[in-house]
Amino acid sequence: MSKRWLTWLRLRLKGIEMNEISMETLQEWSKLGHRSTIGETLLLLGKENSNVYVTTADLTPTARLTNFLKAFPDRLFDVGIAEQNLIDFTAGLAKEGLLPFAVGLAAFVPMRCAEQMRINMGYMNLNAKVIGIEAGVRFGPLGNTHFAMDDIAVARAIPNMTVISPSDPRSIYKAVFAAAEYVGPVYMRLTGAPGFPILYPDDFDFQIGKAIECRSGRDVAIISTGSVLAEAIGAADILRSKGISARVVDMHTIKPLDTEMLDRVFAENRLVLTVEEHSIIGGLGGAVAEYKAGFDRSPKQLICGLGDSFRKVGSYEFQLQDNGLTASQLADLVVTNLS
Amino acid sequence: MSNRNSVEFIQKKALAMRRDCIEMGYAAGSHGAHFGPAMSCIEVVAGIFFSAMNHNPQDPFMPTRDRFVLSKGHACLAYYSALVEAGYFPRDLMRTFKGDNSFLSGHPSCHVKHGLEVASGSLGNGFAVACGMAKAAKVKGEGHYVYCVLGDGECDEGLIWEAAMNAVKNNLDNLIAVVDRNSFQLAGRTHEIMNLNLEAIWKAFGWEVRVVEDGNDVLSVITVLNEMRSATSGKPHLIIAKTVKGKGVSFMENNLAWHAAPMGKDKYEQAVADLAALEIEGN
Ligand SMILES: Cc1ncc(C[n+]2csc(CCOP(=O)(O)OP(=O)(O)O)c2C)c(N)n1
Repeated sequence: MSKRWLTWLRLRLKGIEMNEISMETLQEWSKLGHRSTIGETLLLLGKENSNVYVTTADLTPTARLTNFLKAFPDRLFDVGIAEQNLIDFTAGLAKEGLLPFAVGLAAFVPMRCAEQMRINMGYMNLNAKVIGIEAGVRFGPLGNTHFAMDDIAVARAIPNMTVISPSDPRSIYKAVFAAAEYVGPVYMRLTGAPGFPILYPDDFDFQIGKAIECRSGRDVAIISTGSVLAEAIGAADILRSKGISARVVDMHTIKPLDTEMLDRVFAENRLVLTVEEHSIIGGLGGAVAEYKAGFDRSPKQLICGLGDSFRKVGSYEFQLQDNGLTASQLADLVVTNLS
Repeated sequence: MSNRNSVEFIQKKALAMRRDCIEMGYAAGSHGAHFGPAMSCIEVVAGIFFSAMNHNPQDPFMPTRDRFVLSKGHACLAYYSALVEAGYFPRDLMRTFKGDNSFLSGHPSCHVKHGLEVASGSLGNGFAVACGMAKAAKVKGEGHYVYCVLGDGECDEGLIWEAAMNAVKNNLDNLIAVVDRNSFQLAGRTHEIMNLNLEAIWKAFGWEVRVVEDGNDVLSVITVLNEMRSATSGKPHLIIAKTVKGKGVSFMENNLAWHAAPMGKDKYEQAVADLAALEIEGN
């Protein structure tokens, strides 16, 4: 029996049916960005599973939850602008068997409610899901109060917490359904500006904790998380034109890390680049380095992410450039370090 | 800076500030701007900067200056426009709003030399910091006041109430806070999202509370601001200013779509025309 079929069967038995998403829908989501993707995905999930509830802190239109609210006015609870309360309330719903998804801005969730997530999601090990929208620096012009540079670090340090950062419209959809199926606390950070590309045009198997090898390659491994995967793939293309073979890995689950994939990378690649729209401290780069520290011999790792300083104000393009996260900058870094 | 300007002077400043808000927000192009939240509190901010507050744009670090904290930081356009009109930074910097490397970010950062006292935008925090600043003035025996503007939706945050209790405990009668009661927040009408009787609650917390029925009327606003300053109740002061979100621009008034949005050329021209009409009305 194939794994995909097994997953499908499991979902069927649980009453959750994950339909294949049409290309038109994906294109629409890609055009509108991750916020529409999450709003519409939760609507689809809500239709499949009547136990799914959405909680939010004054963000119904921001997270495009308007259609969910229309379809299920009794299954969306807005606690007002109160992120700590959002998490504890959500935990309470989960405690009594509902399947709640809390949606907040990643700048405030989990940082503002880190303790609530630690105790009432992690310690109590409740089946509550938290979605942080606008993670990273897409809110570049809004200033540092609205950047989420540290959400992976915070969530990752909480025992029991699964941390996921999907990379494109289809993987957001799949990740949300997978999170619904998985029993336990999940933090999902979402990145991807309007126009974020569809990186997975065909159906594929998304499993929490199982990284995806998007490109195979011998010389360097670029391990990426979130929508910046598009830049990582772009970098691999540039490198190929220069005769450098780059493996690209979508480490969509940062916790638990796919160590099997990392074992292969450390054995087969000469250089490792981790790429994320998160602080260079405590994110994917940190997680990979922590695992790598246990090896006698392993390749050099370069951690690419947001520098450890409050960032300047500026457009998203400016932010990616300023932090060395564009495809050409990543490719240059590889070239310099391989020669 | 001369204190206690005439009502007419402040009305003119308020109009100029509205224009500045439109200019800055338009200059931000596709980044958009929080127009509605700024427009609602223009008279409040103008009243604070041009009537109530003791400050000197030529000497932004003056120790005796009153402090201003915009806790509803997303309304930074109102703050920036007051600073421009007061002369804290040159007018031509307005077009850098939200631009790459600009200090005029979409929420205030901390640049005291430009009059920006406290970084805000994470709702609830500015107010709690303002309480600490007011306490510091007391501890240091300094006579200055701290002014703070918060949103009515912002009052959903638990932190507001933790700080409100603490302010009363510390007898912070040098703190004058204004809730911009525009009755909207991000996702809808404030009473639909969290129906709070703000007057009753703030009173119950021990604050001296005054309600301004028309918070977009300069005379009403500055009257209460200045009365609060001379009050001797020993309690921290709270003004609930009933305002109109998007005030002054026809298509923005009470229109949630303008909580935050990019402004195209058509809308820009209409906004400019609306403000020109207001000026004629005012004369
Ligand atoms: C802690 C926090 N949570 C959420 C937000 C997102 N946000 C920005 S403005 C806003 C609504 C604010 O409403 P209100 O305080 O009534 O101010 P208004 O815009 O109506 O003037 C929200 C939820 C934020 N800035 N900070």
